Amino acid sequence: METETLLLNMGPVHPSTHGVLRFKLRMDGEIIRDCQIVIGYLHRGTEKIGEMKTYLQFIPYTDRLDYIAAMPNNYAYVKAVEELAGVEVPQRAEYIRVLVMELNRIVNHLVFMGSLLLDLGASTMIMYGFRERENALQLYESLCGARMTFNYIRPGGVREDLPDGFIPKLNEFIKDMEKRIVDYEELVNGNEIFLMRMKNIGVISAEEAINYGMTGPSLRGSGVDYDIRKLEPYSIYQDLDFKACMRREGDSYARYLVRVEEIRESLHILKQIVDKLPEGKTINQRYNFAPNTGAPSAVTSYFPRIFTPTEGEVYSRIEAPKGELGFFVASDGTTKPYRVKIRSPSFCNLVALPKMVVGLKIPDLIAAFGTIDIVLGDVDR
Amino acid sequence: MNPAEELKYLLPNSVVSVGVQTNKPLAVIRKEDLLKVAEKVKEMGFDNLSVITGVDRVDRIEVIYNLFSYRKKQNLALKVVLEHRSPEVDSVTSIWKVADWLERETYDLVGVKFNGHPDLKRILLPEGWVGHPLRKDYDMSTEQFVTIGEDGEDIVSTDGSNLLRRK
Repeated sequence: METETLLLNMGPVHPSTHGVLRFKLRMDGEIIRDCQIVIGYLHRGTEKIGEMKTYLQFIPYTDRLDYIAAMPNNYAYVKAVEELAGVEVPQRAEYIRVLVMELNRIVNHLVFMGSLLLDLGASTMIMYGFRERENALQLYESLCGARMTFNYIRPGGVREDLPDGFIPKLNEFIKDMEKRIVDYEELVNGNEIFLMRMKNIGVISAEEAINYGMTGPSLRGSGVDYDIRKLEPYSIYQDLDFKACMRREGDSYARYLVRVEEIRESLHILKQIVDKLPEGKTINQRYNFAPNTGAPSAVTSYFPRIFTPTEGEVYSRIEAPKGELGFFVASDGTTKPYRVKIRSPSFCNLVALPKMVVGLKIPDLIAAFGTIDIVLGDVDR
Repeated sequence: MNPAEELKYLLPNSVVSVGVQTNKPLAVIRKEDLLKVAEKVKEMGFDNLSVITGVDRVDRIEVIYNLFSYRKKQNLALKVVLEHRSPEVDSVTSIWKVADWLERETYDLVGVKFNGHPDLKRILLPEGWVGHPLRKDYDMSTEQFVTIGEDGEDIVSTDGSNLLRRK
């Protein structure tokens, strides 16, 4: 029987869209026939701001892209600037950078687990996830005074050294988290309702996922053995022992499992860093213009405010918790970037969503959407 | 031989010059041949289009495609140089699906027209927005206001007098 299709609007203000995202769905009964995504509600013109600020002034703006995990944003931009200007970084600073980034990956995946389960109607996990996240955020607060918008990583190093008592607290967090993750897996992974909502939902093959520009855990869930930390090791990742977590199924459940596994890997990396953390400077001394007050707690790291890389272009990318985060920075030899382009993982991962959900029902859209893990600040920039 | 040189060897007439984009091989392509070159590099194994960047160089517009090959683990950047007055280039959506949104974004913010794109419209800014913000000559002094019409469509105007605003 021929039936009329119905245009259904979902969002921009909807609890399952993780912010302000709008779906225009063409429904045939309960089946989604067409899915169009409308974005831009959170567009703040970050790239234009980048052209109007000096290299240093732009760092706080990168915090506001992916605000769930801001440290990799800081680092990705700083890495691009460092490659452009050829700035060397002391070893201790590199270790601290990776430490804070991997901690942020755990935070991101905890929020992912919590919000995904909440979207599916189970509200317990978000309480647990946010409880552990709070411990991590307090570590960040003791480190740089901010809980989410850090502004911590600088060209040539990091802003401040680790505060007293940071490592013991971090060890406590790791020990706690290792036990908790087992609890969470028992709570969630085998749950029959959860399995029925996740298995064989939103399937995408490896070739399609690559063609649609998916990256990060979402791509590894489709069986592509790829991780920028492995392929193009940056910072100190070549000295660390970890594996790129991968599943072959390509469905929502696989993408979920990849992220849970990554929490374990990140904990493993954190333990190695605690063991290996070298002594030394936390910023390239060539760029240290701080007055020597002698007080150990004084801010010790400065980068010159006026900083002019030579003319050139660079595209530099890292493995952020959500996928490939890249910064294209073009310099014209002045104090401000000529052009800053942000390749955000959330934006590109979203392109594949209509492909995954056509032919499914709306609750499946929520499940598939939850497992590609986007944040709207990162999509709209 | 790096991928840019390989490309120059395979398509000598399409590649204008070969260079580097800080550590990554870069090939400058004749804009008429972009689609042909894109098909070729896809054959060479570059299955991932990372990003499309449009840069306004005042006298010209450059569009840069950063590619990656999962098979060969190699990077390659392609660049086309367009006229500033009417920047137009062929769309590569038929080769990499992710180009759909990346090209729409470049059209929206830089004002590059991609011929053959299935649905070339603004993506981050509402339809009706005047100008392309990442152009160097973009008029920053004129404020534009967005309100929502009866059917949920965006209405852009320069008159914000009836909006609630902080003085």
